[in-house]
Amino acid sequence: MAERYFQHTFDNGLTLLAEQMPGMQSAAMTLLLPAGASSDPVDRNGSATVLGELVLRGAGNRDSRQLTDYLDSLGLQRSSSVGVHHTRFGAAAPAAKVMEGLATYADIVRRPHLPEAGFTAARDLALQALEGLEDEPRQKVLLKVREWHLPSPLGRSAMGRKEDLEKLTLAVSKADFKQRYHAQGAILALAGKVDFDATRREVERLFGDWEGGTEAELKLMPPPGNSHFEEQKSEQTHIGIAYSSVPETHENYYTARMAIEVVSGGMSGRLFTEVREKRALCYSVGASYSSLRGIGSIFAYAGTSNERAQATLDCVIAELHRLSDGVTKEELDRAKIGLKASIIMSGESTSGRAGAIAHDYFMRGRIRTLDEISAAVDGVTVDRVNAYLKANKPGPFTIVIVGPKPLDLPRA
Amino acid sequence: MPLQFHQKQLPNGLDIVAEINPDSHSFAAGLFVKTGSRDEDVPVNGVSHFLEHMMFKGSSKYGWEDVNRIFDEMGARYNAFTTQEMTAYYANVLPEFTERSIEHLSHLLRPAIRTADFTNEKKVILEEIAMYLDDPGHRLYEKLMEAHFANHPLSLSVLGSVDSIKQLERDQMADYFKGRYGPGNMVLSVTGRLAFDEVVGLADKYMGSWPHVDAPRKHSEPLYKAQKQSLTDPKLNRQYTMAMTPGPSAQDDRRFAARVLSDVIGDSDGSRFYWAMVDNAIAEEADFGFYPHDGCGSFYLSLTTAPQRTEEALSIAMKELEKVKTDLKDDEVERAKNKIASSIVLSGEVPIGRMRSIGSQWMYNKEYRSLEQDMETLMSVTPASLKQLMTQFTFDPMTIVTLGPGEK
Repeated sequence: MAERYFQHTFDNGLTLLAEQMPGMQSAAMTLLLPAGASSDPVDRNGSATVLGELVLRGAGNRDSRQLTDYLDSLGLQRSSSVGVHHTRFGAAAPAAKVMEGLATYADIVRRPHLPEAGFTAARDLALQALEGLEDEPRQKVLLKVREWHLPSPLGRSAMGRKEDLEKLTLAVSKADFKQRYHAQGAILALAGKVDFDATRREVERLFGDWEGGTEAELKLMPPPGNSHFEEQKSEQTHIGIAYSSVPETHENYYTARMAIEVVSGGMSGRLFTEVREKRALCYSVGASYSSLRGIGSIFAYAGTSNERAQATLDCVIAELHRLSDGVTKEELDRAKIGLKASIIMSGESTSGRAGAIAHDYFMRGRIRTLDEISAAVDGVTVDRVNAYLKANKPGPFTIVIVGPKPLDLPRA
Repeated sequence: MPLQFHQKQLPNGLDIVAEINPDSHSFAAGLFVKTGSRDEDVPVNGVSHFLEHMMFKGSSKYGWEDVNRIFDEMGARYNAFTTQEMTAYYANVLPEFTERSIEHLSHLLRPAIRTADFTNEKKVILEEIAMYLDDPGHRLYEKLMEAHFANHPLSLSVLGSVDSIKQLERDQMADYFKGRYGPGNMVLSVTGRLAFDEVVGLADKYMGSWPHVDAPRKHSEPLYKAQKQSLTDPKLNRQYTMAMTPGPSAQDDRRFAARVLSDVIGDSDGSRFYWAMVDNAIAEEADFGFYPHDGCGSFYLSLTTAPQRTEEALSIAMKELEKVKTDLKDDEVERAKNKIASSIVLSGEVPIGRMRSIGSQWMYNKEYRSLEQDMETLMSVTPASLKQLMTQFTFDPMTIVTLGPGEK
């Protein structure tokens, strides 16, 4: 059987990853740059988001319109976003088109024009998105609970802060580009119908002489507190809950993942069953594991009408506490098959795999094969999960409420 | 390897359509019922969607605790959705669960509708309605459909209203089910790795005894008129504007040209709207799209702006819609086609997407379209066909609805 996974780090620090997926006509690209919200310049939170928009407004020998028209003519399905650690550019299309587009992505991240008019518009769009967030309390609580739970600056929202964005200038953005758009720490992942040797030669040609640079060290500070209420005259009360878990690289990672799958993996999970099916307290409720480098967390959400919000919060917290009493074999079996099936089915999406191998490399410095993940999931036993839960009771909780009235928060 | 299509009808009238992809890792199955809010009488508005919830509450054999548990025991990706014109129930599983998933879908679609479950779930539906009230885009969309389709049944909300849901009775739901949820008004769509004869045998085993239903959809001509509504909600910060105007239907061959035209005018990136409004930050979002319905269709536009810039953005949008009729360029049509061509290739690689696509296509038109056919039709779209389309659908009359904080 042909080799499936490939990895190569160039001298300047750029890492190229590839997964060859038999039977696929398409390819997908994920390009991660070490410019996430957490490394935004001091008092300029939102800078990475503005920059991520600005670099697309003309690069290499194409102006803004020529650049967009060219990528469109290739038919690339494109995306870009800013997360905690990275700015991410994605593209998917029939494989040859993605390979053709690589040279233009080299222009975008190495030779953007960063025009004044483009800067003003990009900053304005970022400010508008922030305004819009005030109209969507559900989105707001998900961002706020990260801010109040994670150590600063990891909890920062990529959308930025109004006062910071208003102070942002093109000069600052240009300096920020120089500081954070570089090869060191950048990851380029391709998945699908990919010829690795040819790709490596092309990437060497396009990125081989890219400046290395250095990644900023983050100084972590404690979050502002462990509970927060934000008054909003919303129809529902939106509840965000967080607590700490183990990082992805920890030996108990798969054990902790399985435990949270029991709480909220499928629709037979405990939260859905207890809060929605049995008590009909809300429509939307769930919890999931969230991964940052070196930090794992559990985030839960429930949205419900204001008069039932207290009962909903109490019920979700009770379910999380009940976890320390352990899980059953049937629950664990369902969690395992669910995760294994989703791993196998992820092999049907080139975009999904390109994102996954880039994530793996950033977290672990290597790609996990699908077989490795399946074996690790198989290795989790009821005894292991229950011993882990006994020693690591869920909590303490960070709780953020967005709604018309505050709620009574549980102690500890 | 090209995907292979098979089709068969069981003696009770259940249509089965299949697209086999031997390279897939999974099997996907969905039951598509040709019923939705447009088929409801006003007093029971919301019953299709509420019934979708009740399907997960158990059959004569299973209780609510069992339904989700059994899906989860297969590691299935499963869910259901309701639109104005269809409700669909589906599961995506590893091929070893082919029989179990079909058997379980068959239980799902024979709900017991127990009174206690009905009463409990009503609260969840009311919470779902409340949740969407915190989503200005959704609120606006419902108002737009209501205004644009006026007396036509497409004006009805998928979720129903607080009043219609509160007043709905269990037996009204059971009657609605009995009249509409059976072979004759339903398609089983399967895709991915599968053996067609095996699936037909399983469908016959688990669904072969279902009674045929005769549930023709009542069609009436929508009466469109130019209109504008302004809605205010002082707690909002931004202004949300949507507009709708007639377009080709889901049966109309011009729907392919309509999709290309929509991308030229208002794709989220690189379109005329993008350059006229988003590139310069006049609007945060400015999209133009196409919704084909059963027997009629709509183009729509959607703008998100600061309240004080709404009129400016709307006037730019209207100018662009006029301008494109006379100055359409060959290369912009080519680019839009290339983007859609990529999405066709990508969609063919994922069984769950194809299951939805061939299931709804069959439901609307009793027609299968392969990816190759879709690609050929797309490539045959020309600037001339778009120009002709705009002489037949002139973006007039138009319904405009806007929602924002009003004077502050």
